[in-house]
Amino acid sequence: MSLRARIIAVAVAVLWLGWFVVGSFYDDAARKATWWLPDGGLRLGLDLQGGVHIVIGPDLVVATEHELSAIQDGIERGLERDKVTGVRFTRTGQELRVQPASPPDAAAVRKVIEDDSRFTVREDGADLVLHLTPEWAGEVRERAMLQALEVLRRRIDDPQTGIPESVITRQGRDRILIEIPGVDRVPDIFRKTGFLEFKIVQDAAPSEELLRAKHKDGLPPGSEIAVEKDRATDRVITAYLVPIDADINGDFLTDAQVQFDNRVNEWQVTFTWSADGGQIFGELTEKNIGQPLAIILDDQVYSAPVIRDRISRQGQISGRFSSEEARDLAVVLRAGALPIPVQIEEERTIGPALGQDSIQRGIYASLVGFVLVVAFTIGYYRMSGGYASLALLVNLVMLVGLMALFEGTLTMPGIAGLVLTVGMAVDANVIIFERIREELRAGRTPRAAIAAGFQKALWTILDANITTLITALVLFEYGTGPIKGFAVTLSVGILTSVFAALVVTRILYDLHPGNKPVTELSI
Amino acid sequence: MPFEIIKPGTKIDFLGKWKIAAAVSIVVLLIGAIGIPLRGFRMGVDFKGGTEMQVRFTGEGAVDEGAIRKVLGDVGAQNASVVRVGESNEFLLKFEGERSLEGAAEPAPEAGAAPQAEAQPTGGEITAKTDRIIQLEAALAERVGALEVSRVEFVGPKVGAELRNDGLKAIGIACLLILIYIAFRFTPRYAPGAVVALVHDVLVTSAVWIVFGLEFDLRVLAALLAVLGYSLNDTIIVYDRIRENLALHTKSDLVDVLNRSVNETLSRTLLTSFTTLIAVLALLAFGGEVVRPFALAMVIGIVVGTYSSIYIASPTLLLLERWRTGAAARDAGKARAAKA
Repeated sequence: MSLRARIIAVAVAVLWLGWFVVGSFYDDAARKATWWLPDGGLRLGLDLQGGVHIVIGPDLVVATEHELSAIQDGIERGLERDKVTGVRFTRTGQELRVQPASPPDAAAVRKVIEDDSRFTVREDGADLVLHLTPEWAGEVRERAMLQALEVLRRRIDDPQTGIPESVITRQGRDRILIEIPGVDRVPDIFRKTGFLEFKIVQDAAPSEELLRAKHKDGLPPGSEIAVEKDRATDRVITAYLVPIDADINGDFLTDAQVQFDNRVNEWQVTFTWSADGGQIFGELTEKNIGQPLAIILDDQVYSAPVIRDRISRQGQISGRFSSEEARDLAVVLRAGALPIPVQIEEERTIGPALGQDSIQRGIYASLVGFVLVVAFTIGYYRMSGGYASLALLVNLVMLVGLMALFEGTLTMPGIAGLVLTVGMAVDANVIIFERIREELRAGRTPRAAIAAGFQKALWTILDANITTLITALVLFEYGTGPIKGFAVTLSVGILTSVFAALVVTRILYDLHPGNKPVTELSI
Repeated sequence: MPFEIIKPGTKIDFLGKWKIAAAVSIVVLLIGAIGIPLRGFRMGVDFKGGTEMQVRFTGEGAVDEGAIRKVLGDVGAQNASVVRVGESNEFLLKFEGERSLEGAAEPAPEAGAAPQAEAQPTGGEITAKTDRIIQLEAALAERVGALEVSRVEFVGPKVGAELRNDGLKAIGIACLLILIYIAFRFTPRYAPGAVVALVHDVLVTSAVWIVFGLEFDLRVLAALLAVLGYSLNDTIIVYDRIRENLALHTKSDLVDVLNRSVNETLSRTLLTSFTTLIAVLALLAFGGEVVRPFALAMVIGIVVGTYSSIYIASPTLLLLERWRTGAAARDAGKARAAKA
């Protein structure tokens, strides 16, 4: 390419990318509102703007356990139809064992348990042992993952939560990554499974021990103890004896809203049943007027009001909530329960103040690094050092501009990568300059020395940078979160610095003393 | 006159000192190895799992570290440590142990399937335990004073193990890819020297890290990988020159060619490292707490990498060549002996 074409190409690239650099100093709204700014720009990572990054792992083992329990239900229905009785079921982990009462029953049981693509049947004496097939277990886990994602997404998207900027993405096979900017703690809506149950209270006492003392011969079959705790002190207020099976659960809800009850000065959550739910709930409350009804969310009793009248479509939950707690509960109930329990496997939270502090320090460190490198380069190589410094500036504009163009995310390690790039970018120039000096000492004319210097340094520079690029790409592949940001700036920085050293510095040399031949070289 | 740190025609016998260089490196590595049982191979929360929390007490008056320790113990934090950050009432809390999530251990029967008494998954125990991190924050606010949480890093044991494995894998894969690239770009003869230098850099940097009792985490891993890629730059400059000189001076002794090459490229080896070093030093000095481990590991790595490209990479090449030609000569000798 002719010199003129090269200059025009570089100038256009620098101006265009520089436009994006300028745009990155404005936030998204300002960019969109201002006509002369690009719409896209650099995004700040959660570690710079402040926010929560959590990785949630649904307990997928539970999903397959649920599937086995559903299979068991099917078999039990079949046995009931065929009037086979006394069959025992035991489930250990991922195995369901069916024990017929007597050997003659075995054939009848075998008839009910038809072969199915969902599970395999192994005969162990008279017992039948069922396992999910690996394909079906995979299917079940996948379905649970998708359901969990869907529920969490609904919770995030709920207008009342006020975190619409959040991003939820699936990470690999069994993880969900949630990024929530602008908050400094994990919102409660991600902590709750959201499984709501209503159970008629059979007995109650101030503590679990006292309740057990009332039932010395053991709890009545099919019942369990659920406790209500003081929300501030976490102390048990009341222990209730309730049936294990819920009388009705949250699957039948259609809506939930927050409401302030003036009479008791309390926040409450009101809910609405579907038509089916209303019918079940109506019958339940009608039959049990005068009894307390325990409202249980995720195995914890929220309240146990006494039923005064038949309630069909609407009801309310009270539990000394703060307004935020009530709001979160309503969001969770509206979005539905997670199909399986979830656990936070990783959390990285940065408060907004620390993020702001990091930005300032990052900018300061970059500036100091830049000034020191430029001062040294000019001091050592004089005019050529000035060329290298100009190339370094072009390099930085292109690096930040490219990141902004592709709406990349800048993280604190990313800034570290930027500073590292400032130091490494000059390396290519040093290699060229040292080579030119050698050629000059060998007696070449400046013009020939420059040509030879660039030509002979080319592969050394490429080799050196390709190896660094390899490690940056490996880091991108294996790194997580902010560290990926480092890999990105480093990779892009390597590309732009090679370009700056080989193309931009060369243009400056070619430009240097007008079009006259170079007779003296300041290097 | 240009400004030059290394005068042209400098002839330092680097290759002759390979035994001293090797001894120095081995001693550092040995100190590092002794350091592991002595100081422990300390891993940060990223790799070990656990919680790291940075809190700032906003109230007036000095805050007592003992009070914080007491609260940590009461919420069941294991192996807790409390470190004051700077002069202010800011503290870094680190502890191990699970973080239990409300409702984590309970069954949620699948829609449509009526829960069965017998088939009910275990874990019906009532888990109203809230999140340990939130409990801790509430307890600190109540018993120590008003506070702001500026940073939380929690890594569960599963994720920690994964990050650890991925980290080791990343270093291994990076080394392998570089080996392949060097073998492809140069002749395979050069590759082992470069990789010995690389492994040397990573190990020596780690040894220094261990001796100073610093923690390994994702940031340090990123720095080690950057050092891997970067320290190779200098080695490549030298190897490029060796290849060039071997073609030019076919008659010369290999030691002379290597020495000449290292000397000729010495100024650029030092200069490139120096410019990068000043940028990274700026980062170390002004980048703040978050990038400090990264910057420090880079500084050490750059220094070690420069040393290794002068004193380790070329001598390894020399030794390998001698061993090869020696083996060839021995083979030739054997062949002659067999003939006779």
